[in-house]
Amino acid sequence: MRRGLLVLLLAGITAAAWTAVSGQAGTKRSSSGSSVTIANVAGMSWTCGFNPFNSTVQFLSFGPIYEELVFVNALKSGAPTPWLASKFKWANHAKKLTFTIRKGVKWSDGKPLTAADVLFTFQLLKKHKALDLQAVWPVLKSVSRKGSNKVVFKFKSPSAPYFYYVAGQTPIVPKHVWSKIANPVKYSDKAPVGSGPYVARGSNCNAQRIIYTKNTHYWQKGKPKIDTVIYPAYTDNSPANVALATGQDQWGGQFIPNIKTFYTSKSKDNHYWFPPVANVSIFINLKNPILKNVAVRRAMAYAINRPHVAKLGESGYEPPANQTGIVSPTFKSWLNKKLAKKVGYDPAKAKSILKHAGFKLKNGLFYTKSGKPLSFTMINIAGYTDWIASASIVQDELKKVGIKITTSNISGGSYDDATFNGHFELAYDGNEAGGPSPYYELRQELYSKNSAPIGKQASSNWERYYNKKVDKLITAYPKTTSLAKQHSIVNKLEAAMVRDIPIIPVTEAVDFYEYNTKSITGWVNPKNPYAKPAPYEVPDWGVVLTHLRPKG
Amino acid sequence: MRFVLRRLGFFVVTLWAAITANFFIPRLMPGDPAEAMMSRYHGHINPQALKALEVAFGVKTHQSLLSEYFSYLGNVFRGRFGVSLTFFPDPVMHDILQALPWTLVLVGVTTIVGFVLGTLIGLVGAWRRGGFLDGALPPIFIITSAFPYFWLAILSIWLFSLKLGWLPQSGGYDVIDTPSWTWHFAHDAFVHSILPALTILVTAIGGWILTMRNNTISVLTEDYVRMARAKGLRPSRIMWAYAGRNAILPNLTGFAMSLGFVVAGAILVEFVFNYPGVGWMFLQSVNGQDYALMQGLFLLIVVAVLTAILAVDAATVMLDPRTRDVR
Repeated sequence: MRRGLLVLLLAGITAAAWTAVSGQAGTKRSSSGSSVTIANVAGMSWTCGFNPFNSTVQFLSFGPIYEELVFVNALKSGAPTPWLASKFKWANHAKKLTFTIRKGVKWSDGKPLTAADVLFTFQLLKKHKALDLQAVWPVLKSVSRKGSNKVVFKFKSPSAPYFYYVAGQTPIVPKHVWSKIANPVKYSDKAPVGSGPYVARGSNCNAQRIIYTKNTHYWQKGKPKIDTVIYPAYTDNSPANVALATGQDQWGGQFIPNIKTFYTSKSKDNHYWFPPVANVSIFINLKNPILKNVAVRRAMAYAINRPHVAKLGESGYEPPANQTGIVSPTFKSWLNKKLAKKVGYDPAKAKSILKHAGFKLKNGLFYTKSGKPLSFTMINIAGYTDWIASASIVQDELKKVGIKITTSNISGGSYDDATFNGHFELAYDGNEAGGPSPYYELRQELYSKNSAPIGKQASSNWERYYNKKVDKLITAYPKTTSLAKQHSIVNKLEAAMVRDIPIIPVTEAVDFYEYNTKSITGWVNPKNPYAKPAPYEVPDWGVVLTHLRPKG
Repeated sequence: MRFVLRRLGFFVVTLWAAITANFFIPRLMPGDPAEAMMSRYHGHINPQALKALEVAFGVKTHQSLLSEYFSYLGNVFRGRFGVSLTFFPDPVMHDILQALPWTLVLVGVTTIVGFVLGTLIGLVGAWRRGGFLDGALPPIFIITSAFPYFWLAILSIWLFSLKLGWLPQSGGYDVIDTPSWTWHFAHDAFVHSILPALTILVTAIGGWILTMRNNTISVLTEDYVRMARAKGLRPSRIMWAYAGRNAILPNLTGFAMSLGFVVAGAILVEFVFNYPGVGWMFLQSVNGQDYALMQGLFLLIVVAVLTAILAVDAATVMLDPRTRDVR
């Protein structure tokens, strides 16, 4: 999605070839009516299956074809927009959630969407664990219908943050279709019946591209405005990037090297915006006998010049992060600026911290009292060339303060195996999901229940951070739906990040997003961030489709 | 006959060894498919989803490796390769059959054309040593075959599709087209195959030319060629039946191998040109730790290579009488 593996090796060479690309290239495409074509290297050819609970193809159906109860805008701190549910209400201290299902919504086959469909969907997830991609049933107690148009969710414990997963990240499917399917896990769903703005019929899909057409029964009257959406199956960045530059494709979710030269300079209609969504951090194995000393980690945090890494390693695409772990500007209202400034770039201070902690400097390298050098291996995913570049800058900067880093670029599989099981010293990583508020990422990074002993698989707290007070904060947050209380909890989590340095956020991972305004308008832009804009963000890209319209 | 039978025995043993290696090697890779899927998503899904994925993909079934091996053997002989994880929930064979025709036509045709053309140029070049053909073509193609493939491919995209706008830059057919048995689609597919085919041809042909030319030159010094000349045979007959027939023998095995490897696709070609073939599918299956798809593809390649070698052995028996006497 964001980075091809082998692809980027070729990117440099391609870049040279592109220098002379003029605006007139590519095959001309004639089509009647308005259409938008997407350039996103998904790294697969299409199976023409649209099962929204199949993690492989979910991004092709959840949004344009299947929809959510409430749209949660992660770029606006989780601002909710009622979607299939017209109303929702929390009760009983965030343990009971009631949705009122919108009237007049029809499935694409013309049958009405009712509370029974919503109830059925969640029962389906309960029955088939493999479908429960957002893991909602471990926290849910029961789902039931109330009256003709209400669905009531009861949670085992206060679960305010789970609103995002239950309401915003679960696609609702029709009971009259799915109740007849014997094995929904292995169901490919070649002729999906959904409630979304578009439909994809079998004949409109083949291995190389999907053509979505308007759902004539769509509940938002007069929408969508664009007649067809074409989603080609790109397996390599170069053709996708050329198609974007020439305007042949109008909506991109692509990493483009040197974007000003190869994209925006090609046409005044070419624009891009890369909103930050999560941190790219150095994960530090806290079970390592030397790294468990907070002085070493603190020195490392002071030694890294984050703006420098962002500029050189990430071509300025990914902004510098800060030690609080709050992604800004996306979540700037949550950021404690004073705390963020506390750990800035200061190599002299890094050295003095190490000296005070009793480490001895010999020939430019610090040693422990027992004579062990501060020398660590940092693992990286081979093929993610920008992160590898960033990691090597980090390596240089740490060398200047007397800490030796050896980088090791390994395959994605080996990398995951190492981080999940804790067999690493340092890991350069941006594999967090993030969410509609900073809490989600901080919970993934800091909650001890997400971790596991060395040798057992941890789902996200790979550095193995255990702190009872922090755990208490993390479990307190779900109990409140009050924004003020949530802010105060996140503020304390930020303090823990700065105090304990369990991980070192270096840059901020972004959504890659390019858009062409020549014949289409209504795009997400920095002034109007109404949804995550990349054409693989579920269900956000379906929301974007309802906003797009032909120009003039 | 005995020769062919012995070769058949060899075929069976090699096949078993390959099938077995095919089972164990992917399982020695670190990680598992659910983890691979998680990292493909870069955290776009909830971390707890790892559990759901493990259930969906049937990893961690707590079956012993040995019992898995035997059920795998049974399934292989019944042609069942299971469900692909990359293209979940499609059966592996369905996906391979979808991609195979593209690869077979593109890589198959270019391999055959490359071999035939290269052999002809090599033979004629050696026959008229020092002539115009010998002076121009072999050096040119030997230089082009030393080019890195992807560089040549990107350069040709830049020139023919971006600069001149003559040919499409990617895909097996236009994105708004639908595969069907019509002239329109055949034309579309043909136009899309020109650039990948030409680049493969240009990089592959040099090797055939060089080996054929060298073989022919050494064959031309043989006594039986001098004998043929002394008998006063027509030069064209000497070139084809005496020099050519003998010089091609060593090349045939190489040709068989490359024919067999056609089903493996041309990974770089399919990658650079976004071509919907098997080679790219192969890379994908390795990245996604998709054992089932990997095994299906490996097996296909092994069978194809072994069959091609078997066929060439038979052809050698026909072309070269000496092999018939071997016990």
